Parts: sequence; structure tokens; C-alpha cells
Amino acid sequence: MTQLIQNLILGLLLSGVYALVAGGLTLIFGVMRVINIAHGAFLILAAFITYSLWSALGIDPLLGILVTTPVIFAIGWVTYKTVAAPLRTAPMASTVLLTFGLALVLEAVMGTIWGNNSTAIRPGYGDESFTVAGLFLPKAQVYGGLVAVLVLLALGLILTRTWLGRAIRATSVNPDGAALVGIKVTAVAALVFALGIAAAGAGGAIVGVLYPFVPGAHYQWIARLLAIVVLGGMGSMRGAVLGALIFGVGETLTSAYVSPSWATAVPYAIVFVVLLIRPQGLLGTRLRADAVAA
Amino acid sequence: MQKVAASRRIQALAVSSLLALGVAGCGGDDAGGQSDDPIKIGSSLPLTGEFSQPGKAAEQGYEVWQAMVNEDGGLLGRDVEMVIKDDASNQNTIVADYNALISQDKVDLLIGSYSSLLNLPASSVAERNQMLFVEPAGGSPEMFSRGFKYLFFTQQATADKNSLVFAEWVANLPEGERPKTAAYPTIDDPFATPSVEGVRKVLEKAGVETVYRETYAIDTKNFDTIVNGMKAKSPELVVHGAVFEDGVGMVRSMLKADFKPKWLYQTTAPSLGAQYAKAVGPENTEGIMFAISHAPQAKTPGNEEFVAKYKEMFDGLPPEDAADGFAAGQVLQAAVEGVGSIDDQAALAEWLRDNPVETILGELKWNKDGSPIGEFLIGQWQGDGVEFVLPEEFATSDKLVQGWTPGGAGG
Repeated sequence: MTQLIQNLILGLLLSGVYALVAGGLTLIFGVMRVINIAHGAFLILAAFITYSLWSALGIDPLLGILVTTPVIFAIGWVTYKTVAAPLRTAPMASTVLLTFGLALVLEAVMGTIWGNNSTAIRPGYGDESFTVAGLFLPKAQVYGGLVAVLVLLALGLILTRTWLGRAIRATSVNPDGAALVGIKVTAVAALVFALGIAAAGAGGAIVGVLYPFVPGAHYQWIARLLAIVVLGGMGSMRGAVLGALIFGVGETLTSAYVSPSWATAVPYAIVFVVLLIRPQGLLGTRLRADAVAA
Repeated sequence: MQKVAASRRIQALAVSSLLALGVAGCGGDDAGGQSDDPIKIGSSLPLTGEFSQPGKAAEQGYEVWQAMVNEDGGLLGRDVEMVIKDDASNQNTIVADYNALISQDKVDLLIGSYSSLLNLPASSVAERNQMLFVEPAGGSPEMFSRGFKYLFFTQQATADKNSLVFAEWVANLPEGERPKTAAYPTIDDPFATPSVEGVRKVLEKAGVETVYRETYAIDTKNFDTIVNGMKAKSPELVVHGAVFEDGVGMVRSMLKADFKPKWLYQTTAPSLGAQYAKAVGPENTEGIMFAISHAPQAKTPGNEEFVAKYKEMFDGLPPEDAADGFAAGQVLQAAVEGVGSIDDQAALAEWLRDNPVETILGELKWNKDGSPIGEFLIGQWQGDGVEFVLPEEFATSDKLVQGWTPGGAGG
């Protein structure tokens, strides 16, 4: 029983980080209908920026989120204005191609600046744990999970309690209608893109503390993130959190009770089964357009 | 009419002969080694992606070899020019790269990539094109079960045998000192898996009980659950089949879980020197053991010069993979100089099958299938660096730290 609780805790802590990063990806899709393949690359970029702040200036990597997130937000905004804006009306396949290209460019830039060496951020608490009733709770995961929850709550508050949030939701549901009532849809899209990327930025700082990374590590992350978002329902923030929970806990329990070699495969199998039953994902909404296309 | 036809045939024959002579004239220089053009040697390495750490080290080894050969008058009197592509640690890309090296870059010779995973498909391209394939890494037994004639692995032993020196040392410890239980987690990698399996078989025979044995996927990032599973079984020895990032991730997860088995042995990762120490924390490396092909302080022929040149070009001591890259260059050089030409790649392969080669890794010799006949060194992290502790005749230190003591040294 202790083992099960231990594994569940480890799974939940992992899920927090997944939820934070996947939340940004689903936000961008919800408003812009852009599948941002470069999301994982922005995550790793944030990890490298965090590494530089930590190694050169001694800034704690999790406190560094206060610096990393605005920087990544700005990079996201500039990226939107220069690269992503034309995608708002482009076919979905074009968005995949263009953001994949963007991911390759980011990987090359990271390789040039930081080198293609494996990098690890090791703050003092990086290899320590809290011990509660015989269970170990890795400090970095606990802090990272708490930061992830805080950022997600802030994102949720922005979406549900602010004018900007209403504008984002209106733009997501009906861009033409939103424009008719005076919402600057392009400005909202730019903000959403930057916010989504900033969430990846916050996640990147946490990921950098938890795991070693190289510029090419983004491929593994984007595969997981897309699966989480699809599982939860594309465009649904709550769905992303639920998908992340299933993915994180699923990975951990599979590793513990089936085999570590199945740990990455079983969550994808769950996605497959869910999509067979609910093609729109767990909390996604099936639109009339989807039914027509089907 | 017949006369006209005959005359046309003669004309055609004459033109073809002239063309053939021209082509032979152009190509003859390249093939015969009489041209002043550099000898082009092609490779594709994982300079980005998951294996970039060792891939970049191998590139440095090639560059040092190229510089030293050229300073020494070249190969058959011609300069050596390395053509190195980046396969991004991807099996599909490496196939495209080696095909391009042969058909577009028109390299004269090939040299291998890093890891069995990448050399498996790359060596197939070389074999299909009947070109010698000397590989600095790629010791999976699977490599040599395909009946290839042009493949040679330029380290001392294949993966299934590379940790045997360690396994036999543990098996021969006095009963009171020998670990009673062992765990064997390993990455799903054609090199790491047979290496760990080789140790397990020896230790099980010696009565060391296997309490944990799992393989994890290559893209595994989170090792907390695996460590939790091992911790529950309390093994006295952990033999971990690792590449690099997973080796680091496993050690960090073990520290977080406060799981400190008496002995920790890892494949490959700890041999990456300063990068490894930096990633897991220098204070946490004390006593970790691993198999390694090269020692910077070894008294092998040419090693001192290699280490000095590496320091001059890249600063610091050469990591193992740089030394392996250099040794692969030495083997290629020995074959070319032994045959005296680069025309006949089958002759180069035959020469290697018949002759041992002195390298900075020691003397290398091969079975008919291109697998090496020899044994690895066993290294151990002691203080700030690595000492070579086994076999005893090659040991660089009299001391063997009795177990893994994280937090105990370095830094």
C-alpha cells in the first residue's frame, strides 16, 4: 500500500509539470487553431535561459521563473508578430509545417548559443527529498508542482475573471462575433500566443531542474504534450489538466506495476482508446464542423 | 553498307576508348593514391540530439587524428580531409547521410558513427557499397551477427563482454564482501542491454541474487519510479545500463530517494568525465565504477602525443569517446598504409582481419566477423577524477574505493 501511495505521489508531481506546459499548448490551439509544434522547443529554450541565470548569476532556477517567463512571453509575442500571425487563417497543415520549422530553427539557435551538450541545473535542493510517513517527496518536484499549480491558477483566473479572459474565450468560440462586439481579435491572438509560450517558459524552468536536457530534447516533449492535449480535448484547459493527470499517473503506475519499458507506450494506448470512444477527447467539444468533416 | 557499319563501329569504339582512357586518367589519380588531392574520409555523427555528448567527443577525436596525420605528412603522402555530417541521433538520417557521403561527397573512405543504435544502419550502407567501415563505437553483438565483411569495431571488446572484468572481480570477492543481491535496470539500447546481461549471467552463477531486472524506453526522463522499485528490494549492487542522460537521471533519482546501494556500476555515462561529474555533482561520484576503453595516463604507443594534441586543440583531458574516435582513425590509417592503397576496400578489410594494430587503446585485433578480441579497463571515480582499477596489471591506483559514497568526495 505504501508503495502504491508513493507511486501515486510521484505520478501526481509529474502531472503538475505536464499540465502547466500542456495548458499553454491547448490555449494557443483553442484561440488560434494552431498546433504549435515548436512548443517543446520553447520549453527547452526556457530551460537553457534558466540554466544561464542559475550558473552565471546564481539565481535560483524556480525563482528565476519570474525572469524567464516574461522573457519567454516577449519572445512569444515577437514570434507571433513575425512568424505566426499569418497562420491565423492558414490551413491546419500549414501551421504544423511552419511551427515544425520554427522548432528546428530554435534547436539550431540553442545549439549555437549553449552548445549541444547535455545540461543539468542542480540547485541545492535538486537531489533532496521531504520524508513524510516513510514516503519520499523530491523537493524539486514538490516546488515545481506547486509553481505549476500557481501558474495554472493564475492562468485560470486570467481566463475566467478578467476582461482579457472573456475576450480570449469569445475569440476562441467565435472570432467573427468577437470582432463584431469590438474585440481586437489579432491583438488577443498575439497575447494568447505569448501567454501560451510563457506557460511553456515557466514549465521549462521546472523541467530544467528535474531532468538533464539538450537542444534536441524538444521532440520528446512535444510528442507527450500533443498526446496530453488530444487526450483532454484540444482547446480545453481543464482537459489539458485532466490529460496531464492521466498521463503522469499512467506513466508512473505502468513503470511500477507493468514494466518501465511500457511506461511511455501505455499512456499513448490510453489516448488511442479514449479517442476511439470520444474522438473530441475527454473534455473537448465536438463542433458541427467536425461532424460534417467526419 | 557493311563497310559503313564497320567504320561506324570502329569510330564508336575509338570514341569509347578515348572516353574510357579519359575517365581512367581522371579517376586513376584518386584511386591510385598519386593525386595531391586530399583523401576524403566521411562520417556522420550525432552532433545534436540525444547522443550529442559522445558524438561531439568522437568528432574531436577525428579532428585530432586528422591534424596529427596531416602534420606527419598525411596518409600515403596525401592530406586527410574529414567530411562529417550530423545525423541528429536519428537512425533514418544516418542512412541518408552515409548514402550522401558515398554518392554525392564521393568520399574515399568511411569511418563510423557513435553508438550501436546508429552504427547498425550505417554499417549496412557501407556493406552494401562494399566499403570498409571502421567504427569507434557500436559494440552490440547484434552488429557482428550479420555476416558483414567490411565492419570492424575499434575498441577492445563487444558489449556483452565489456563489463566482464568487473563481473568476474565481483564474483571472485571473498564471500563476506561479495554483494548478495543485485539490481539490473537498463536502457533499451543495443550496447547497454547486452553489457548488463553479461554481468548478470556471471553474477548469478556466482550466487548473487537478482532482485530487480527491468529495461526502460530510450526516451525515459523520469527515473523516480524505477528507483522506488529498486529501493523496495534493497539490492547491495546496482548494475545500470546507461548512455548518458539516463545515467545522470538515475543517479539523481537515487539521491532524491536516499537509495544508496553499496556498489554502483554504470555503463558509458561515468566515462564522460567532467560532464558527468558536473551533471550528477562531483561530490556524488565517489566510488562509481564503469568500463572504459581508454585511460589518458596509459602508456600505450602514441597516447602521450594524442593527449597533448587534444589539450592543445580542445583544452582539458580527452573523454573516452574522443580517444575511441582517434583510435578508429589509427586503425583506418594502419590498414591503408598496410595495403599501400585505397583502391581495394576488400583488401583493406582483409588486412585488418590478418593484422593486429597498435593504438592508444592498446593492441587491437579482430575475429573474422570484425568483433574485437580483448578486454576493457574498469574505471572508478576517486576524488576529483577517474582512476583505472582493473585489471590489476593496468591499474593506475593501488586503492579501490569500497563502494559508492555519494556526498563523500570530489567537488
